[in-house]
Amino acid sequence: MGGPRSERLVAAVLRCYPARWRRRHGDEAAELAALLMRDGTPARAIAWNYLTGAARAQLASPPARRLGAAAGALVVAGGCLGVPLALSASPPAGAASVTRSPAPGPLRGRTRPARRLDQMLRSGCLIGQPAARVRAELRAARASATWHGTGFVTAARADGPAVVSIILNPRRPAGHGQGC
Amino acid sequence: MEPDVLRRAGDASVLILTSLADGPKHGYALIQDIKGFAGLELGPGTLYGALDRLERLGLIEALPAEDRRHPYRMTAPGAVALRAHLDSLERVSAVGRLRLRMAGI
Repeated sequence: MGGPRSERLVAAVLRCYPARWRRRHGDEAAELAALLMRDGTPARAIAWNYLTGAARAQLASPPARRLGAAAGALVVAGGCLGVPLALSASPPAGAASVTRSPAPGPLRGRTRPARRLDQMLRSGCLIGQPAARVRAELRAARASATWHGTGFVTAARADGPAVVSIILNPRRPAGHGQGC
Repeated sequence: MEPDVLRRAGDASVLILTSLADGPKHGYALIQDIKGFAGLELGPGTLYGALDRLERLGLIEALPAEDRRHPYRMTAPGAVALRAHLDSLERVSAVGRLRLRMAGI
């Protein structure tokens, strides 16, 4: 049976699909997932299957955003399914500084990177348990974030050994409250 | 002989077309029907991917939505494609069975 948590998981994964797909199939896909969960199909299996479908749908999108979007979908997949994000390696000496570089499309903005990252975590652009862990890490270590034009964010702890790498889904719409 | 356009379309596409051969169905009904006749539970992501592909190929078409569900039906080219694919499978099946028999397996 699917509870609210399972429904949230599926809803989060469905957001990885291109907007056009969501307009066409989104409501039905959520309903279908609920029916399958009612029949006993595990929510994680449904979420994983939707996720691979989202990666394929993103790859079928216009080429400019394919790579980042597909990578984003897969990393969000990792987050959904509890696979740890990359939390490893010692930061280079200068990794603690905050730098900004222009980001295309939905990632462009004047907000400071660390605050922007926090906004994105709150708005659900980054999902699952790792997102909560990343947020805690950032607050605990007063970590800094670096933006890259491809939609990658790296947060490096100023005083610790961890470097957190996050790949965002750049196809989420911007400027609508929940946008990325 | 009709070309087998489903040769590279994947098993899910063939299963969906086979399911639609007896009338329009929406996603959940397709999954249940395929589970019944093939013993295989299509994942929902796989299902929608195959539906989109088949629709792009003009082998199925979406009917007006019923509530939130979109039923799909097989088009005439879809029926031709399914028949051609099943004929192809039958030829392969016949050769395979013959060769197994000749090998005494």
